[in-house]
Amino acid sequence: MREQDAYKDLSDLFRVEDSALPAEPFTRQVMQGVSRQKMMRRAIVGSLGLAGAAIAAMQLPQLFAEWAGVDKTVTEVLATAPSELSTAAVNQLSTAAANNPMWLAIAAGAALCVFAVSAFERA
Amino acid sequence: MRSDPDLAHAAARGSESAFAELVRRHQGKVRGMARRLAGSEATGDDIAQVTFLTAWQKISSYAGGTFSAWICTICFREFLQWRRRQKMEIEFDETAEIIPFDRSADQHEMRMDLTRALESLSEAQRVCVVLCVSTGLTHQEAADVTGWPLGTVKSHVQRGVALLRTRLENANVA
Repeated sequence: MREQDAYKDLSDLFRVEDSALPAEPFTRQVMQGVSRQKMMRRAIVGSLGLAGAAIAAMQLPQLFAEWAGVDKTVTEVLATAPSELSTAAVNQLSTAAANNPMWLAIAAGAALCVFAVSAFERA
Repeated sequence: MRSDPDLAHAAARGSESAFAELVRRHQGKVRGMARRLAGSEATGDDIAQVTFLTAWQKISSYAGGTFSAWICTICFREFLQWRRRQKMEIEFDETAEIIPFDRSADQHEMRMDLTRALESLSEAQRVCVVLCVSTGLTHQEAADVTGWPLGTVKSHVQRGVALLRTRLENANVA
């Protein structure tokens, strides 16, 4: 026997009372509250978003003013980086190969795998 | 007919019509529970309304299971918050005397025997009887909702039901 069966008669009395409550006016009232909440949330999120966008827009003149300096620095870095990197990489690779020639074989195998995968991908 | 979890998932995705259907299905149970706990129809309906608004906000946290138990847990918490705002006794003292309801003028003079009988129980018994007998939660669910030990809930329900029956019988004889 379920525990609820011991007082099923009383439960039925309560259920009759509850089912007599009209559902529609209450449901309408709740859903109006839900819509109000939704609108308020949208207004808060929207206003915060606008405020953020305004702050970001206010920073643009400063960004443009410093653009020339940034552009020069980036161009210099991009021009010098490949030669520095390749020199360093060749040096490191030759040091590794001199210490243990097995590294060269591993690097060659890895390069072959990458080539094979990329060739199949294109096909 | 769509199941409660289906509707709840649709509501979590923002469907107001699915949530309205859930409100329509459970409003009787939740309003009845809130009215009986608060002892006033108007206050009970206010608590029930806040319950559903809180449920709408937290609907994405509903992780399946019995929707009734989930919504009743929210309702019970809203009832406790209402009590706190009323600056009344917060903790339920199992040995406490019967706490009389504050009767407002708009309440009906003639109350149903069932409601009168329920009001004559101690508060802890009333809470357990409302949750288990009127709302239909299992003893375990009621223990989860209230945070009381399962044995305490069981004994309150047992004594509450016995007292309720006696009161109803007396009322019928009178």
